[in-house]
Amino acid sequence: MTTTHDLSDLTAHEAGILPGDAGLARRRRPRPGHPTRRLWALAAVMAVGWSLWSAGVGRRELVNPGGWPLVGHFWGAALSPELSADFLATTLRATLTTSAFAVLGTALSVAIGVVGGVLTSETWWRRKRSGRSRLRAGWFVSRALSGLPRGIHEAVWGLFFVSIMGRDPMVGVLAIGIPFGAITAKVTAELIDEAARGPFDALRATGAGRATALAYAVFPVILTDLVSYAFYRLECSLRSAVILGIIGAGGLGAELSLAFQGLAYGRMWTLIYVLVAVSAAADLWGSSLRRRGTLGRVRLSLLGGTALIVGSWLYLSPDLGRLFGGRTRGLLSDISSSAWPPSLPAEGWGGLLRGAVETVQMSLLAIVLASTLAVLTAFVAARGGTTLRRRAVAGTARFILLVTRAIPPPVWALLFLFVLFPGPLPGAVALGAYNFGILGRLMAEVVENLDPRPAEALRALGAPNLSAFAYASAPLSAARFASYSLYRWEVAAREAVVVGVVGAGGLGRLLEQQRSAFNYPGMLTTILALVVVSITVDLVSAAARRSLR
Amino acid sequence: MPDVVVSLRQVHVVYDGRPALDGFDLDVFAGERVALVGPSGAGKTSALGLCSGSIAATTGAVEVLGRDLIGATDSELQAVRRKVGTIHQDLHLIGPLRVVHNVNGGRLGSWSRSRALSSLVRPAGLDQAREALARVGIADKLMERTDRLSGGEQQRVALARVLVQSPQLILADEPVSSLDPARAEEVMDLLGEVVVDRSRTLIVSLHDFTLARRRCDRIVGVRAGRVAFDLPAGEVTEELGQDLYRIDA
Repeated sequence: MTTTHDLSDLTAHEAGILPGDAGLARRRRPRPGHPTRRLWALAAVMAVGWSLWSAGVGRRELVNPGGWPLVGHFWGAALSPELSADFLATTLRATLTTSAFAVLGTALSVAIGVVGGVLTSETWWRRKRSGRSRLRAGWFVSRALSGLPRGIHEAVWGLFFVSIMGRDPMVGVLAIGIPFGAITAKVTAELIDEAARGPFDALRATGAGRATALAYAVFPVILTDLVSYAFYRLECSLRSAVILGIIGAGGLGAELSLAFQGLAYGRMWTLIYVLVAVSAAADLWGSSLRRRGTLGRVRLSLLGGTALIVGSWLYLSPDLGRLFGGRTRGLLSDISSSAWPPSLPAEGWGGLLRGAVETVQMSLLAIVLASTLAVLTAFVAARGGTTLRRRAVAGTARFILLVTRAIPPPVWALLFLFVLFPGPLPGAVALGAYNFGILGRLMAEVVENLDPRPAEALRALGAPNLSAFAYASAPLSAARFASYSLYRWEVAAREAVVVGVVGAGGLGRLLEQQRSAFNYPGMLTTILALVVVSITVDLVSAAARRSLR
Repeated sequence: MPDVVVSLRQVHVVYDGRPALDGFDLDVFAGERVALVGPSGAGKTSALGLCSGSIAATTGAVEVLGRDLIGATDSELQAVRRKVGTIHQDLHLIGPLRVVHNVNGGRLGSWSRSRALSSLVRPAGLDQAREALARVGIADKLMERTDRLSGGEQQRVALARVLVQSPQLILADEPVSSLDPARAEEVMDLLGEVVVDRSRTLIVSLHDFTLARRRCDRIVGVRAGRVAFDLPAGEVTEELGQDLYRIDA
C-alpha cells in the first residue's frame, strides 16, 4: 500500500533513521512516458493558482482590518507572560498532564509498533519455496489492516474516544497510541527488513523459530534506531497531546484554549513558552541520540524512558476498568449502531466533495507557504557559522522555528481568524506557519549535512560567495528540499482536519458541525472521505517524488 | 629568467597543534611542470592549498602570481584565485546541474553576480563551454545532467571547467591516485592538453614516480612537512623514491 508506506517513510526520514530518497547516488533517468519534473512543476503551479483563486485571493476581501489590534495585543503580550503563583501551578499541572499523555501514548505506540512491525515485516512472512522468496497472504492482510489507523489523524481518534469515554486520561493515550502505533509498526517493519538477512537466515537454518531468530539476529541490530525513533515519536506525541487537549482531553491544550477564549494573552504566552521548553528538551535529546547514538546513550534513554512511563502512569492513574467498563461498551455500541450505515452530509455529494477539495487546497497552499519561508530560513538557520554574528543570527532563526512549531495549528488558526475572514485561507496560513517550523528545521539539517567541497571548489576558482551558493549549495539541496516538502504535504493533508475543527474550513469544519449535531452517520462518511483524501495525496506525492530521483 | 609564479618561504601550517608543513620552501617558475611526490600525510595537499589560498599559513611567506597572500584581503584573494585553476581528486562537481553550468563554474570569478545568476536560467558562454568540452572529447554532453555521466566523463568536465577559466597556474591534487594505469595516462594527457605550450604553469601532486618523471620537468620530494629533495626530473633516482616512501620504525 503506497499510502502507508509514504506516511511512515516521512516520519522515518524526519527522524533521520532511513536514508533520503533524493540522494545523488541513486538518480535514474525518467522512464519513457513518466511525467517529468517540468510537468510536475507546471501541475503544481496550476494547482496552487487554482487553490488561491478558490480561496478568494484577488476576488474578495480576505483581511479583516478590525482584527489587527487583537493580533497586536497577542504579540505584545509575548514580553509579559502571566507569572502569578496560581497560574504557574495550573501550568505545571497542565504540563505534567500533556507530557504524561505524550509519554504513555508513545509507550503504547512503541508496543503496538514493535508487535505490528514484526507482523507486517516481509522477514516474518517470507518463506523460501523452490529457491524463490514468496510472501504469505498474511503479509498482505496485515499491511492492509495496519493502513487504516494511519490514515486517520489523531485528533479524529481523539474526538471518537471523547465521545465514548468523556474526559478520561486514557483518551489522550489511546488517541496518540493507536495511529502512532500503526506508523511505528511500518517503520519497525522497514528496519527489520533492511537489517542484514544473513544472520537471521543462518539461525533459521539451525532450526530456530522466527521469533527467536528475530530476537537474536535482528532486534540487537535495530535497537539504537528504534530507541532513536521512539524519542522522535515522543516529540510528535507532545505536539499531538496539545492538540488533543484543545479538543477536550485536558492539559496544556485545554488551558491554551481557555486562555484564548478569555483573551488572556499573557497566560497564552506562559503556556507557549512552556511548550517551547518541553519541545526543545525532547528535540535536543532526540537529535543528540540520532547524531551520536552510542550504546551508553541508548541505555540511558531506555532507563529514562522507563522512569517517564512509570511516573506518567502514577500521575495520570488511568482507570483501565473504565476502559472496558459497561458504560464505555454501551456508548461504543450506541455510536456504532447509530453511525451505520454512513450517510451523506446535508449538502449531499457536492458538500462532501467541496469539503474534500477545500482540504486538499488548504494543505497545498500551506505547504507552498511553509516551503518558501523554510527555504529562505534554512540557509540562515543552519549550524556551522564561523563568526559570532553568523552564529547569533542562526540561533535566532532556530528559535523562531522552534516557536512556530511549538504553537499547535489550531491555535495558529484561531490567531489568523482574527485578521482573515473564515474560509480555507486562515486554515492554510495556520498550517503553513506550523509546517514552516518543521520544514525549516529539516531543511536547515539538510544544509548542515551538505558536502561543502563543491562550493569551496568554486570559491577556490575565484567565484564570489553568492555565485558559489547559487551554483553549488542551492542545486545540491534542491532535490531534498522538494522531497521533504512533498512528504510534509502528505502530513499537512491529514493535519488540515485539526484547523478545520476550529472553523477554518474543509472536511474538518464539516466533521465538527456533524459532531455538534451528534450526526454519527455523517461523521463516518466524513472520516472515510478524510481517508480517501489522505490516500490520494499520498499517491500524488509519491509519484511526484519519484520524478525527483 | 622566467617569472616566479609561486614562492613559499619557511612556511609552517599547523592543524590542531600538529604541523602539516614545517618550514616548507618552494619556488615555481612560469611555464614549469612540477610534481610534488611523497607519502600520504606528507603535506602535498597543504602545499597546494597554500597556492590556491584555501589554506592560510601559520607563519612564513606565501606569494602567488606576484601577490603576497599573507594578510591579503578577501577581494585580493579572489583576484588571485581567478588566475589559479584547481583540479581535485574528488572533482567536486555539482551533480544535479547540467554539464554546461559545471563548466561555467570556472568563469564565475570573472562574471558579475547578475550574469552568474541569469546564466543558471539561460546558460551563457555556450560556445566557450562547448569548445572546452570538445578539447576534452565530450562536446556532445553539454546539456546532460552531470551526475548521469560516467566517472571518466566527469573527470573531463572538471578539466573543461579549468579550461574555460583560462588560469595562469594549474594545481592538480592527486588527479590519478584512484585510477588504473591506462586511465592515469589518459588524465595526464588531458592535463597536458590544458597546460598548452608552456603558457601555463602546472603543479601536480602524484604518488606514481614513473609518471612524475615522464610528465614533469621537476620533482619535489615532500616528507613530514618539509622538502626532502627538489631536482630536475631526469636526476631523480629510484633510490631517492624508495627513501622518500620508507616507513620509519
